[in-house]
Amino acid sequence: MLFNSTDFAIFLPIVFLLYWFVANKNLKVQNLLIVVASYVFYGWWDWRFLSLILFSTLVDYSVGRELEKQENPTKRKLLLWTSIIVNLGFLGFFKYYNFFLENFVNTFSFFGYPISPQGLNVVLPVGISFYTFQTLSYSIDTYKRKLKPTKDFIAFMAFVSFFPQLVAGPIERATHFLPQFHKKRTFKYDKAVDGLRQILWGLFKKIVIADNAAQIANEIFNNSSNYSGSTLLLGALFFTFQIYGDFSGYSDIAIGTSRLFGFDLMQNFNFPYFSRDIAEFWRRWHISLSTWFRDYLYIPLGGSRGGIWMKVRNTFIIFIVIGFWHGANWTFIVWGVLNAAYFLPLLLLKKNRVNTNTVAENNNLPSIKEFFQISVTFALTILAWVFFRAENLAHAFSYLSTIFSNSLFTIPLFREMRHALATILLILIFIFIEWIGRNEQFAIAKLGFTWKKPLRYAMYYSMILAIFLFMGKQQQFIYFQF
Amino acid sequence: MKNFIKNILFFIAPIIILSYPLDLVISNVLKSKAQLCVGEYEVWNDILESKIDAEIAIYGSSRAWVHFNPVIFEKELHQKTYNFGIDGHHFHLQYLRHKEYFKYNTHPKIIIFSVDIFTLAKKKDLYNLNQFLPYMLWNDDFYEYTCSYNGFNSSDYYVPLKRYFGNINLSDICASTTTNRCNGFKGIDKKWNTDLKKAKASKPSYRIILDSTSILLFKQFINEMKKEDVRLIFVYTPEYIEGQAFVKNRNDIISVFDEISKKYNIPFFNYSCSDISYNKSLFYNTQHLNKKGADIFTVRFINDFKKYKSKTTTNIMPLADSAKNAVIK
Repeated sequence: MLFNSTDFAIFLPIVFLLYWFVANKNLKVQNLLIVVASYVFYGWWDWRFLSLILFSTLVDYSVGRELEKQENPTKRKLLLWTSIIVNLGFLGFFKYYNFFLENFVNTFSFFGYPISPQGLNVVLPVGISFYTFQTLSYSIDTYKRKLKPTKDFIAFMAFVSFFPQLVAGPIERATHFLPQFHKKRTFKYDKAVDGLRQILWGLFKKIVIADNAAQIANEIFNNSSNYSGSTLLLGALFFTFQIYGDFSGYSDIAIGTSRLFGFDLMQNFNFPYFSRDIAEFWRRWHISLSTWFRDYLYIPLGGSRGGIWMKVRNTFIIFIVIGFWHGANWTFIVWGVLNAAYFLPLLLLKKNRVNTNTVAENNNLPSIKEFFQISVTFALTILAWVFFRAENLAHAFSYLSTIFSNSLFTIPLFREMRHALATILLILIFIFIEWIGRNEQFAIAKLGFTWKKPLRYAMYYSMILAIFLFMGKQQQFIYFQF
Repeated sequence: MKNFIKNILFFIAPIIILSYPLDLVISNVLKSKAQLCVGEYEVWNDILESKIDAEIAIYGSSRAWVHFNPVIFEKELHQKTYNFGIDGHHFHLQYLRHKEYFKYNTHPKIIIFSVDIFTLAKKKDLYNLNQFLPYMLWNDDFYEYTCSYNGFNSSDYYVPLKRYFGNINLSDICASTTTNRCNGFKGIDKKWNTDLKKAKASKPSYRIILDSTSILLFKQFINEMKKEDVRLIFVYTPEYIEGQAFVKNRNDIISVFDEISKKYNIPFFNYSCSDISYNKSLFYNTQHLNKKGADIFTVRFINDFKKYKSKTTTNIMPLADSAKNAVIK
């Protein structure tokens, strides 16, 4: 079920009313309702893959229970590896089987040993990369004794399958999220209203910004050989806003929906396009994933401690893994490598934690220096997104070579010029709203609080109208494929 | 909690109250976008706003739409002509267009019906469904003739705005209002764009299944026109010769029209084997003539029609006399 569908618009109020009016007296019943709702939500897409979630839940719950009892370090390690192998095994099979097979075949052919093994038509279960990492965090934290394993199977099921963030995150840590299923939730008016505002903003980002940008970006990327360098550059720019609007929009809807049910999810995006360097960008982009890899991969590898070689190695490992997490394609790996290359100089010069405050703090506008930093970081990001969006490496390189050709200095042309111009205008409005709300959890968290009620409501109605009118053909969320 | 629910309801109430006026606004904006839905809005607008007073009406699918140029009809026959061809739709929805046309406009004297192998078939999906959006709210005719397809839910016909959800976007709103058609017609200025070899390889020949309800409706339509004293003429417009082999039961289907034309005494002009059908440069795909081809065909048909009118000795004209020998410029 998609957040931007009428199915969800019917589903959510029903679950909300049942949750607060029918199941509110008993925590277990509330958790059970969440499980049922989450399985319905997921099964709406493909019920067959519910078995994967259930199996993963059973394995990690059992591993957690055993880890609590077990004191023998070897056996504890064995239990942890059981969880890792099962979870990553599923992920590896569904997501990477054909990729490895294809590369295996290509390598053999390259050395003059052509082979033709049987490929499989593997369907990638939606959200597998997200819930797998969430359950892994439970097993790892339990193993490290950072978390007391739960005895409540229903609460654990709800933690794994919680529908607002099941299919595209934020990837919650068990230490932060699981305890929330053990506490009685009380309805808080302000929190619920705040949640609705965040849902509204998320829908606006997804439907008005991302979907419109997607239409133009898709046209340009799919027919890149027909366009000039200037148009391709704008195509990459449209994709830059598409992916941000799409994914951060999803996260906003997920966080907002969770708040309606009394849960707090972690912030997943913190105005990344206002970053002044790449290190800051990665502290603000897909925070739940980057911190997951930081805590469970980068730090165990030694992090930024040790010599230069270790820093370089660890930086490349984490960015390549982040890239590979996104999909079984060399384009994602190159995207990761490129980001590592951007990040490394900052790390080696110990400037990776320079910009930790909000940009232009206490000012309306950035300084010239900040503006320049933001622009450079943004330009580097756009460049990297070309690899992320391209069909393959050849496509990415040909796209970039056209951008950096003489045709960059021609007037950009679009198939639907008026649509492109209207989308640019919408993006500018969007950037403006994001800028004025950059100190908040989400851009409109405080917008209009001091305004008179009719004016504030007019803003909400305008957004709803825009969402309604611009609800277009591109409805799937990009991150579902990851 | 009660406060929350109450405030939500208060918030939603204006949306519900304003949904109908808003629906009207959106519908009116969309109706003006001539570039959308291959220009079908223009025809629907003309029909539903009673703007048509044609003496000759041309019916059919896209093969009517892009083949008969009303401007040439008016020049040659001095009779107002309108082309009602509807892209991608078979008789079931051609009848909806006819019904609305007759409901809101003065009736024609002659209907030239472009029949083809798909006329009496029926699709499952509602092709180009956005063309119905601005007109379908609380419209029983639209409901009756479109609801049997995969496309809209019943509530889409009765709940304001609902049908627009997910069916329009910014590019629609930004679309041009420049006129797309001329009395319903549009000449397609394209060159041949079909790889027949590839098409043959990817899709072997197939059979078209005729829809019994469409046949009944077609006969009902013929009877209605007889009662209305509207003269009906069947035309099988040119079809590129190499493409004709794709449909296995093509001859059977054409013989259905032959039988109907005999039974109901309707003249039937068949150009599917005329020299135009052999000239690839006049087509942009096997089913459709390009602009040049359409103009040549329209002139040819008018000449044949004039001859027929002057003779009116035979009801069935499998191939007009001039069709084979005419010089194609």
